[in-house]
Amino acid sequence: MNTKLKVSEISKIYPGCIANDKVSLEFGSGKIYALLGENGAGKSTLVKILSGVVKPDEGEVFLNDESIKLNSPQDAKKNNIGMVFQHFNLFETLSVFENLSIDSDKKDEDLRVLVNDILNKYNFKIDLDIPVLNLSAGQKQKVEIIRCLIRNPKVLIMDEPTSVLTEQETDDLFISLKQFSKDGILIIYITHKLKEVLSLCDEVAVMRKGKVVSVSNTIDEKIESLANKMVGENLNTIKKKIKNSKDSEEILKISNLNFKSEDPYETNLNNLNLSLKKGECLGIAGISGNGQNELFQILSGEIITEGTSIMFRNKEIGKLNPRERREFLMAFSPEDRISQAAVPELKIYENVALNNFKSSNFFEKGLVNEKKIKEHSKKILTNFSVNTDNVELKSQFLSGGNLQKLIIGRELITSPELLVCFNPTWGLDVGAINYIHETLIQINEQGKSSILISTDNDELLKLSDRICVIYKGKLSKIMNADTVTAEKLGILMGGGSID
Amino acid sequence: MEVLLIKIEKRNDVSRSIYFLTPVLAIFLTLFGGGIIFYILGFNPIEALKFFFITPISDLYGLSELLVKATPLCLIAIGLSFCFKSNNWNIGAEGQLIFGGIVGGGVALLFYNHDGFYVLPIILLSGAIGGMLFAMIPAILKTYFNTNEILVSLMLVYVAKLLLDYLVVGPWSNPEGFNFPETRQFSESARMPILFDSLRIHAGIFITLISVFFSWLILYKTYLGFQIKVSGLSLKTAKYAGYKGKTMIIIVFMISGACAGLAGVGEITGPIGQLHRNISPDYGFTAIIVAFLGRLNPVGIIFASLIVALTYLGAETAQIFLQVPKYTGQVFQGMILFFLLGSDYLLFFKIKFLGLKKNEL
Repeated sequence: MNTKLKVSEISKIYPGCIANDKVSLEFGSGKIYALLGENGAGKSTLVKILSGVVKPDEGEVFLNDESIKLNSPQDAKKNNIGMVFQHFNLFETLSVFENLSIDSDKKDEDLRVLVNDILNKYNFKIDLDIPVLNLSAGQKQKVEIIRCLIRNPKVLIMDEPTSVLTEQETDDLFISLKQFSKDGILIIYITHKLKEVLSLCDEVAVMRKGKVVSVSNTIDEKIESLANKMVGENLNTIKKKIKNSKDSEEILKISNLNFKSEDPYETNLNNLNLSLKKGECLGIAGISGNGQNELFQILSGEIITEGTSIMFRNKEIGKLNPRERREFLMAFSPEDRISQAAVPELKIYENVALNNFKSSNFFEKGLVNEKKIKEHSKKILTNFSVNTDNVELKSQFLSGGNLQKLIIGRELITSPELLVCFNPTWGLDVGAINYIHETLIQINEQGKSSILISTDNDELLKLSDRICVIYKGKLSKIMNADTVTAEKLGILMGGGSID
Repeated sequence: MEVLLIKIEKRNDVSRSIYFLTPVLAIFLTLFGGGIIFYILGFNPIEALKFFFITPISDLYGLSELLVKATPLCLIAIGLSFCFKSNNWNIGAEGQLIFGGIVGGGVALLFYNHDGFYVLPIILLSGAIGGMLFAMIPAILKTYFNTNEILVSLMLVYVAKLLLDYLVVGPWSNPEGFNFPETRQFSESARMPILFDSLRIHAGIFITLISVFFSWLILYKTYLGFQIKVSGLSLKTAKYAGYKGKTMIIIVFMISGACAGLAGVGEITGPIGQLHRNISPDYGFTAIIVAFLGRLNPVGIIFASLIVALTYLGAETAQIFLQVPKYTGQVFQGMILFFLLGSDYLLFFKIKFLGLKKNEL
């Protein structure tokens, strides 16, 4: 059975962003294909188009030279395209077999025979009659794979399958995938992990900013060459003057910090060490989902750790919550500005009151001091050029850029010694991005420190004095920004190592 | 096969006046729905609704009864609004009411031979503390053991009911009561002062009004109220702002339980005057409807409690004059909640019809 899948001139435009720009690719059975790219490169959109979840604005999909219409996930199933998403769609309290029989039209007895055949053939060890919640992440993924195999798929698409797996489970998965490929199933493997591409795949297509930038055989590629293609080289345009902060006072020190999460979708942090000097900006690069969220929460105090593991100006703060840390002049700007940093349903001045600390006097003797909060809010609106002067306005009416200015303003108006921000310019237009960047450079010039966790490499190279990369919950060694190149970042972000 | 494509979208902004008018709309829809039910049952709908909603309050006694019923409903709903506003789903107010009644009643029996102005305040206080402690069970289990407060608080209702049953049948039953499942009548100094002769309206109404005032103060003017508001809108934000989530959960349950306990002890020292099996006609559950009908707003809850109290009275008159079961009252309460949720859905979401589409399945 020979399968050929071809996408031709596929375009998908979202407001303000071209997710897929005339993407054309060809795949044939017997090989494993990698689709490689950073977050937002357009991989997920392409995969959603192939699985019928998203309809393309232009272009066609051909299966064995026949044009097929993929208007819904059902269409994809009908055309024998199977898909395993990053997050599992299983009913935790039902048994494995019940999960499989839900969307199958076969009789239960026939289905059981079929499933047992698959289990034997690929040497999967799963008890069909225990509830899914008792399975490990790797086993759950196998259930999802079996669900696809029941339908005799011609094409199997795996979307970042290893993000929830242990190393051993990853090895097992690769063995299975190679077997499927031998059995004639066309496999498309979506990832941003360079090592996996090299160890598993035969051909690799690299996407960047919605376009396919290269298609090649993995034999001809090395980690460095792939990293370069993935990250691109159009960097380092405006760069901040890098400071040599060697002799400045140390303001923050994290030593031997570990975090183990109970949630399989969260990343564990292993043995973090970093130190930050007065007046410098430390950039933390990485592909999202490698522990940035957890690191931010550890810095902000949303996750509490051992007291001594975080020292801020020689005080133990590991055990303090965010409000208590603000008393020590720390400030935080989270990634999610709409549902975390601010509440859209609240008025501007109420959102300002979220940054409450003793000397602000927003709340005196437990009562709300509305006058004080409003005065303070007016000051933020003017100083940070937010496009309104009405503090009674509900925050949902602010554009993303203005909301972010409000949040950064709220955090900075207290003149904190340290600002931790996480993707501060995510989704903003150029004007707002420049404003935020200027503001962040300014605070360093005033001798205040900042930690910038970002998935945008341009931003990191522009603003940081020193940079490190977070990968699978581990920090790379911290490098001076002037020695860092896009290529180096790319290798580290993809899990490679440099000297 | 052709299918109708429907898309449901969230509305961007909902005007404040419409937000407070939808409960009124829900009440009119309930009247309309009730009219239809009465019509199907073979009554003249206008007449029937008049028996249900006008007759009960057409005299002074009726108005007093309305306030007697609204007093506990309003008090419990006020307490519940603290929980609901902060995303804590305490639906066990009935149990907290009963437990408050048990503790307050126990103290009243203890003071059986005492006279003095201090007796009633002690009883009321112990009732409030009883309800508060009972509400802390689901709160502590939620904060420290991650249990679901809906289930725990609901199940505790039955625990409280069975405990009350046991006490009035067994150890606390009236020694001169011919084995009826009830306690002694409380002494005069353990009873709520009656406001007017020959009417049942009692001083509990002042407790309710004072609670309304303080809850408004706490919810809108204090740091605690602000924290409750933020946590209700976004738990992530509350965490980011550094609010002590666990402490707050326990505090709102304590407030809520104290209000329910106070309502319970107000009932037994007010209109009832002793403990027996049925000290509450499900006030604790009905107050959930009151809280939402009043938009969790203290003033709104006052109005809502009056309207829902009327369904209790209406059911009684309808039973007498129309010979329909008194459970019609619960039908009306159910309809109010149903229509309120329905109109809320349309308030927050819009439904778009995208026309017919051929389904290729």
